[in-house]
Order: sequence, then C-alpha cells, then structure tokens
Amino acid sequence: MIQLDDVSYAYPDTDHFVLSHMNLSIPAGSVTGIVGASGAGKTTLAKILSGFIPHVDGGELSGTVVVDGVTIAEASLADAVSHVGLVIQSPFNQISGAKFTVREELAFGLENLGVPRDEMAVRVAEVADLLGITGLLDRSPYALSGGQQQLVAIASMIIMRTPVLVMDEPTSQLDPGGTRMVFDVMSSLRDSGITLVIFEHKLELLREHADVVHVLADHQLIAHGPSRAMLADPRMEEWGIGSTRFTAAASEARTKKLLPADVELPVSIEDAATVFASFASSKGA
Amino acid sequence: MSSTAATPADSKKVRNRIFIAVGTIIIIATYLYLVVGQPTDIAQSSFSQSGLIAIAGYVVGAILLAIGAIHRLPTATVAMVPVAIALNIVVGQIVSVIGLPVYLDSIGTVLVSALAGPAAGVVTGILTNVIWGLTLSPIALPYAVVQVIIGVMAGYAARLGMFRLFYLAPVAGAITGIVCAIVSAPISAFVFGGATGGGTGAIVGAFQAMGQSLLGATTLQGLLSDPLDKAISFTIVVLILAALPSRFRQRFPFVRQYNVFGRKAPALQHQTAAPAAPAASAVPAADVTDATPDN
Amino acid sequence: MSSTLFDNRKSVIHRLNPVTKLIALLAIIVTVFAIPLWWVAGLIIVLVVVPAAVISGSGGRLLSLSLRILLPIMLVLFIVQGLTFPGGKTIIWQWGIIDVTSEGLLFALGIGSRIIVLVLASILLVLTTHPGDLMSALTERGMSPKFAYIISSTLQLIPAFKDRADSILLAQQARGLSLKGNPLRRIKIMLPLLSPLVLGMFTDVEERSTAMEARAFGSTARRTSLIPVADSMVQRIARWLFIVLALAAVATPILLGLL
Repeated sequence: MIQLDDVSYAYPDTDHFVLSHMNLSIPAGSVTGIVGASGAGKTTLAKILSGFIPHVDGGELSGTVVVDGVTIAEASLADAVSHVGLVIQSPFNQISGAKFTVREELAFGLENLGVPRDEMAVRVAEVADLLGITGLLDRSPYALSGGQQQLVAIASMIIMRTPVLVMDEPTSQLDPGGTRMVFDVMSSLRDSGITLVIFEHKLELLREHADVVHVLADHQLIAHGPSRAMLADPRMEEWGIGSTRFTAAASEARTKKLLPADVELPVSIEDAATVFASFASSKGA
Repeated sequence: MSSTAATPADSKKVRNRIFIAVGTIIIIATYLYLVVGQPTDIAQSSFSQSGLIAIAGYVVGAILLAIGAIHRLPTATVAMVPVAIALNIVVGQIVSVIGLPVYLDSIGTVLVSALAGPAAGVVTGILTNVIWGLTLSPIALPYAVVQVIIGVMAGYAARLGMFRLFYLAPVAGAITGIVCAIVSAPISAFVFGGATGGGTGAIVGAFQAMGQSLLGATTLQGLLSDPLDKAISFTIVVLILAALPSRFRQRFPFVRQYNVFGRKAPALQHQTAAPAAPAASAVPAADVTDATPDN
Repeated sequence: MSSTLFDNRKSVIHRLNPVTKLIALLAIIVTVFAIPLWWVAGLIIVLVVVPAAVISGSGGRLLSLSLRILLPIMLVLFIVQGLTFPGGKTIIWQWGIIDVTSEGLLFALGIGSRIIVLVLASILLVLTTHPGDLMSALTERGMSPKFAYIISSTLQLIPAFKDRADSILLAQQARGLSLKGNPLRRIKIMLPLLSPLVLGMFTDVEERSTAMEARAFGSTARRTSLIPVADSMVQRIARWLFIVLALAAVATPILLGLL
C-alpha cells in the first residue's frame, strides 16, 4: 500500500537532510504506528507520505514514494490527496476557518469535490456519529474546546474516505476517554479496509491498536516489529522514546531476578496482567 | 502538470488576462472621464451622474481585476490573504482610535504584495474594503479601487527590488500614495462631497475657500495625507518582512522568482530554484522538484 | 463568533435569497446615484428601506448603527459645502466673513441624501443576511470559491486578531506605557507592538494551507453546497424587475434631458 525506497529529504535553503536513505513498506488494511523522539522528523515523514512534500514545501526529495499505487512525485497534489489523507498536528489549523457551523465544516472537503448534497448529508451524519460529535453539529468550530476541535478535525478527514489516512499526533488535545475512542475508531476503519499510519507517543494505545510499530531515529527508520515486541525493546530508552511504566517495572523485576530472563516484557496493562498471571501460577505450582 | 491540460488552462489564462485588461481600462477611463471629460461639471452645481460613474466605474473595474487575479493564486497565498485583511482592518481601527493623523489600513495589502505579487495584492485590497463594509461601515466600499492600486503598485515595487533596501520602500510608498490620492479624489468629491471625515472635510473646505474646485480640493487633500501614509506603511512592511523568518519568505515563488529580498541569492548553494538544474548534493537525486505550485 | 453585524432573526427579509437582497441593494444605489433629485432618495427611504427595516425587526439596530456613521459625515458635509461650495452665489445667511449659500446647501442635500440611502440600505443587507449564506449563494452562481473562503475566514479571524491586539496593548499600558504625545512618538510606540501580532498570525498560515489542500481545496470540480439556498419563482422575477428598474433609472435623466 505504501512503499518508500531510498528516500532522502532536505528542506529548502538547508543542506541538512531531515530524512536520509529511508525505506518503508506498509501493507494494505493495517494500522502502523511510527514513534520517534521530538525532532526526529515525524511531521516531515507524515508530509512525505501524504504528498505535501514535495508538492507544497519544496526542498530536495530523492528516492521514490508510492502510495496506493500512485507515484507521489509524478502525480499532481490534487491526485495525491484523493489517495491519502493527512490529519495535521494542530486541530485549530486543520479547521478551514471558512465555515460557520461544524456541520458545514465537516462537509468542506466534500463540497470542494462536488459531492451531491444528499450524499454529503448522509456522510456528515455518519462521521459525526462515529466520533460522537452529533451534538456539536450546529456549533461554531471556533466555539469548541481543543479536544472537541480535534475530533472535528479527525472527522473532517475521515469523511473524505481516502484509502490511506496519515495522522500526526491525532490525540494530543484529547482526554483519556476521547483518546481511547479515537483509537477504537481507527481499528474500525482498519476493519473496513483503510490503511492507517499514526504518529503517536501514547505507547500503551499503540500496543493495543497498531499491528506494526516503526522507530524513527537518526534520520532513518531504524527498527520495526510487531507492536508489543517493538515497544518493549530495551533500546527504546536510548532512542529517546521511553517505555511504559509496565515495561519499566517488568524490566526492573527481571534485572532483580524476580522474573525469568526469557519473560516477554509487557507494554500495556493487559500484557502486564498476563505476565503477572503466568508468574503467579508458576509460583503457585 | 499543467502541460497535460494545456487547452482549458490556456483558455482560462486568456480569459483572466481579458478580465484584468478590461478592469484596468475601465478604471483609467472612469478617471479620465470624470477629470478631463467634465472639468466644469459640478462647479455649476448641476447635479449629474458623476457620482454614479465614479462608483460604478471604479467598483466594476476593481471587481474585474480581482476576478482575473484570484485564479492565479495558489492555496498557500489564499490562506495568507485573510491574515493580511485582518491586519489591515485591526491596525486601521487601532490607529483611528489612538488618533494618529494617518490611516495605516493597507499594511496587510502591501505585505501580501511583497510576498506573493501584485495579483495577490489586488485580491487582498478589494476584499479588505468588502469586509470593512460587512463589519464596520459601507462607506469604505466605493474606495475599493484605492486598495487595489496599492496592491498592484506594491507588487511591482517588490519586483523592482524596492523592498531590498530600507530607504527605498518609503519612496515607493510615497509614489503609490500620490497615485492613490489622484484616483480616490473623484470618489471623495462626487460621491461624498468632500465629507469623508472631520479633519479631511475641514481641509477640503479650506482648499475650496481658497478658490479650488471640489475635485481640486479633494485631490489636494489626498496629496497631503496619502503619500505620507503609504510611505509609513511601506516602511512598516519592510520592518515586518525583516522580522519574518527567511524560510517563510523564501517559500513564496514570487519572492524567489524576482529575488525580492536580494541579499540572499538563492541560487548559490541551492540549484533547486531552477527546475532544470541538477541536484548539487551527495545524495543521488532521482527527481528534484521545484516548489512552484501547479496552478 | 464572527464579527459581522448580522442580526440573527427569522423575518421574511432574513429568509430572502441573499442574491435577491444584493440585487435590490445594487438597484437602489444605482437609482439614487442616477437620478439627481434628493426627493427620489427620500421616497426610496420612506417606501422601501423603512418598511423593510420594520418587517425585518432589525430597525433599531439599523438606526443606531447608521446614525453613528452618518451624523459626523452629514455635519461636515453641510458645514463645509454650505460655507465653501465653489458654485455658491446666493447668500442666504451671513455672519462676519461667513457666507452660507443656498447652492451649497442644495448640493449638500443632494449628496447627503444619496449617502444616507447607501448607508441605510447596505447596513440593512448586512444586518439581515448571514455572511455564510451570502457566500454559498454567490458561489452557487459561479463566484470563485477562493473569494468565499477568504471572506468567511477573515470574518472569523478578526475577533481572534482583535483579542491578540487588545491583550498586547493592555499589557503595554499595564507596564506604564502611555499612548499619548506627538504622533511621531506614538508611531514609535506602535511599531514594536505590531511585530509580535503579525508574526504570530503568519506562522499559522503554512499549516492551514496544508490542511486545506488535504481537503481538496485545490480541486477544479464544480463546488456543491451542503446547505441549500432558499429561492422562489417570485424572487427570480423580482430580481429581473430590480435590474430593469435600475436600468430605467439610469436612462430617465438622459431621456428627460435633466443633465
């Protein structure tokens, strides 16, 4: 679905490569998490995957980027954005600013594509229901809290129904309940065949919802693996990403020989419960 | 990208050029008709259609210019225009509340023109007065053409490199102000009878008392305030531009194409500005894409 | 959350198609500027503007807003032209060196009546028309969606911008900065206040344009609109009628040889 071959990039007026010789392969219908310390180039990679680099930002991009069968550099921006959607970091800036109600804000992209009115109304109602913002439809997008704005921003991209959706820290403004709901929505989108790439640092939720996690450090994707194995990797600390408290506690316990050396380190509370249960049963036996 | 759809894009370009040309001709013709065509007109107290011609000619001309100009603007510029208009209006209001003897209601227009060219300035200019009409007072609407002229002249001043040096900008501003004063005088005279404000009205009255015609009085009144106002506005814009990060400024194709800010010759270490040039980097570059938007 | 003067009510005038109101406004302005008789403007105010304002329920706001704009202009107009009108010959009142001429006052009446109509009718349109509806209606008729975007977005940006400007000014005044003194000094004070205001707003532009592109703003498809704009056969006929009336108004003085 997404294929990056030997991709390097430097912003205009710099000779410093933010990303260098990067390769990435993401299968269709999966949720892929990408983690990295701040400044590792996450936003840059998100823009490359969605075509804004090179089409808007310029700079030097080498290598090939293919998304949904389209070679991004050769396609027009209008073509690229019909294959891949991007939820940017700031919900305040994701909102068009040109619409006076949330209902019309959600329809902004569909209006631009010339989607018939009846279909728009159906899709607006659907996506509002999916993200639990039906009650906000008649409010002004500017009269919302940061979290509500973020839900509207995410909904305004989901409604576009692009086969690939890239999200740059989509839950930064949300409370734990809202965050969990957004991740559940991602899983249901994946089940309906959409390919998702999420730049996130909420590791426990990535563990639960991402199929594969890639690590971005030193201008490259230096490691990847199934979410639990990758997120529990001891090198996560040195890459500046850190680990969850469950991983840290289990790792500490293992060093103190409280847990067997071959124990698979937990990332989320569910993992921890499993480890604890097997530990308890082995002690009890 | 544009070459694949040559025919419709070209016919649109021709259409837009026609809009711009016709709009310009109408504005010039309106002024010439009002000033040269009927020099004795209103002095005889004969009510005439001069007011209608002043409003209609200028507004229609400005609208045609804006329609021809807006299609040239890429999304990045369109997204910047609201900020510039808000700057015009908010600063213009603050200045009038504080009671400075200038307007300073075109800083955003000049700024956009310097970054994105005359077409962007035209759109910013006319919509500033439309929004002024929607939010504050419809008195601004007939003057839309003045903001359009500021946009055009500031854009060409930028192309000529007037924003490269601190002391050239006020000169460009003063020249723009003279043109503004001349073009706006028929509106002040034939639509508002010289009474656009307390201070300006008194000055118009003084010139009339000295034997000037109404149009002569509003022209002289404009020449007293507009060149100073625009010289200050252009200077403020130079200061703002200097404070903006270079990366932001160099994103604009207009800035790179006409080397608006001089100093930093963009071609030296980066050959990316020229689409055909090979990438001068250690990385094997498969394709080097210029940031020029495909509009 | 927008900064227009829109007065949210449910009157017949409010519910008219925005284009109908816009064409009516243009027809009124063309008529008063085409026919050089002050009582024509007076009739339009009495027969069209006042009834419409009463039906809309926004008459009170119309009155207070227009008075604030019109009073200073009218005052200056009558004083300046009454005293110094270049074509003034017939002196009707004299005091020292001050001569008030009837030509001057008549000229002020002619110009003033037009300005009053222009201001009243325009403000009534703005009071009774939601800017979003006006933009949808015009986009539907082929106006570039870029115009609609810029206008709607600016209307929502201005309150945010004003808040930032106010907080900066207040903060400076709280530090004991006085905005008095000669103009040059005041400009010198304003300059450093302007920069942070501007830079803050411009940094958002980059991201916002990216988000707009992601939502197909650059698409060349013919736009559709989620909210339908109300229209009727009566209004369609009325619009053509307004256009014909405006053209007739332009032709009348020429035909009657009034010029």
